[in-house]
Amino acid sequence: MLNATLRILRKFDLLVIAVLFLLLAPIISMDRSIDFMIFCIFVLAYDLLYGYMGRLSFGHMLYLGVGAYAFALSGEYLSGNAFLALLIAVSSGAAIGLILGPVVVRTTGACFALINLALNQLGFFLILVAFSHWTGGEDGMSASFKKIWIFNFSNRTIVFCFTFVCLLLVIFLVRRLTNSLFGILLRGIKENETRVKFLGYDTFAIKMAAFILSTTLSAFAGALFIINYSYVTTSFIDPLRSVEVIFASLIGGAGSVYGALVGGVSYKLISNYLPNYIQRWEMFLGVILLLLVFKFRSGVWGYVVDFINRYERPAGESKSHSEVSR
Amino acid sequence: MISTLAYGLTVGGILYIISIGLSLTFGTMRIVNFAHALVYTLGAYILVTAMQVLGVGFFVSAIIAVTAVIPLSYLIERFVIRTLYGQSIDYAIIATYAVLLIGVDAIKWIWGAIPIPLSDPVGASFPLLGVELPIYRFIIILISLLIFAGLELFFGRTVVGKIIVAGLEDKEALASLGINVDKYFAVAFTLGSSLAALGGVLYAPITAVNPYMGFQVLLICFAVVVVGGLGSIRGTFLAAFALGMVMSITGRFWGPAADTMVFVVLGLVLIIKPIEA
Repeated sequence: MLNATLRILRKFDLLVIAVLFLLLAPIISMDRSIDFMIFCIFVLAYDLLYGYMGRLSFGHMLYLGVGAYAFALSGEYLSGNAFLALLIAVSSGAAIGLILGPVVVRTTGACFALINLALNQLGFFLILVAFSHWTGGEDGMSASFKKIWIFNFSNRTIVFCFTFVCLLLVIFLVRRLTNSLFGILLRGIKENETRVKFLGYDTFAIKMAAFILSTTLSAFAGALFIINYSYVTTSFIDPLRSVEVIFASLIGGAGSVYGALVGGVSYKLISNYLPNYIQRWEMFLGVILLLLVFKFRSGVWGYVVDFINRYERPAGESKSHSEVSR
Repeated sequence: MISTLAYGLTVGGILYIISIGLSLTFGTMRIVNFAHALVYTLGAYILVTAMQVLGVGFFVSAIIAVTAVIPLSYLIERFVIRTLYGQSIDYAIIATYAVLLIGVDAIKWIWGAIPIPLSDPVGASFPLLGVELPIYRFIIILISLLIFAGLELFFGRTVVGKIIVAGLEDKEALASLGINVDKYFAVAFTLGSSLAALGGVLYAPITAVNPYMGFQVLLICFAVVVVGGLGSIRGTFLAAFALGMVMSITGRFWGPAADTMVFVVLGLVLIIKPIEA
């Protein structure tokens, strides 16, 4: 009965996610749901590093910002073709991962967190001051693109459909990767890197691959944000905003695709609706973060998984934890 | 040129004073204590308030500010860091960041977000090779040297200091000798925090006091700690002055790049000597 329902849900999870996001659009305007979906891609990219590989980055806005600025700049100076710009944004995300990776992925824990933050600060400065002639500095720049075939990005419905398809593709990709040997090795590195090395795997290569994947997906999310807003400002690369994605990852439950989606949507709901009622927004974020760290570590999705497991076990069908949470 | 050098030494001195606490928590617990930035900012704000409300002089206010943050830093250590330590380093880092967010917002609530300028407490300057240099900067350099000497004595001659240095080397071995490591780390933490507040107090007259002053300084101090070598107390001293010089020389040619140059140096150091930790 319920077990059967769960099994069907699990089988067609991508479809369920798609329906849920489509339902979200009429409930909270279409503009908001576009924003939510792009943020979910960013959280997925972040979770690959934090949730799966156990590396906490405090400067992930850098990678988002690289994508955003690469997209806007190539639209301004190269061509009005949005797909070419998207390709440039994604490849610059990969390039920055490839360049910074050898320095960054060697470190763990506090060093990893702060080196990302320092690099983010560096990128922020470059955009804000050093290249302000091209990027418009604090004022930012607008980005407009030509209409190609049916892809007219000034039409909200087209943007919605495009981001919707992108989100589903990213979910599919991340789920496939994390369920493969690669995903198992990532979790192995999180638990004990020495042992993974001992099994004969080149952990440096695995970590590099995960890092580059994460920066690339973040840059992709950044470019999508610019498609949505059609302007770019330094707030897309501001290191102080990196806490948003950490928050989203924690509240949803780190280390699971569904958790990242739940976290992305919950954070965006909180940040869209609560500031109207709460004066001290940063303090509120801080208190919730403390609560999450002290009391609710597994996040919303973790509790859902617990609930399902508790229900299923008496029924005699003991699903493994990882299969539920994948 | 002389003023650039003097400014570099001043910044280096302040960076050293702030970085000590960071270096100690980093070396002993491998935790980045974001709340360090909060203590630093709070030190500067308490100084301003003490000067305005109580009407006492700069140096009395400075003492008030440094002592006022000690209970706060003890609370942070006891209820945030010590509870989470040993469970997960990531959670401890996120929790201190949350404390920083709450604290900075509280500061904005109490004092407002507008930067508060503060005048030079000494006011006199001193001619050196034809350049007028504020005496206050020499006082800062002198204080940092005194603190360095004091810490050398503390870590080299006293039992508490020696236990903390041993903790930097190997925490487990120290605990197996029957020493209550947590107690001594609390001492190190509080010492580091009060020095951070002192750094905030000393730096306040050079820049304006604003709620976000801690974020930027924390990053630079992190660069100091890494460049100096994790948990190395003397290395921190050298790195602080070297990076202070880098900041002041860069600032002379291109003002906005001063802070950023520090991260470039950090990147270079990490490329040459990667941290496998």
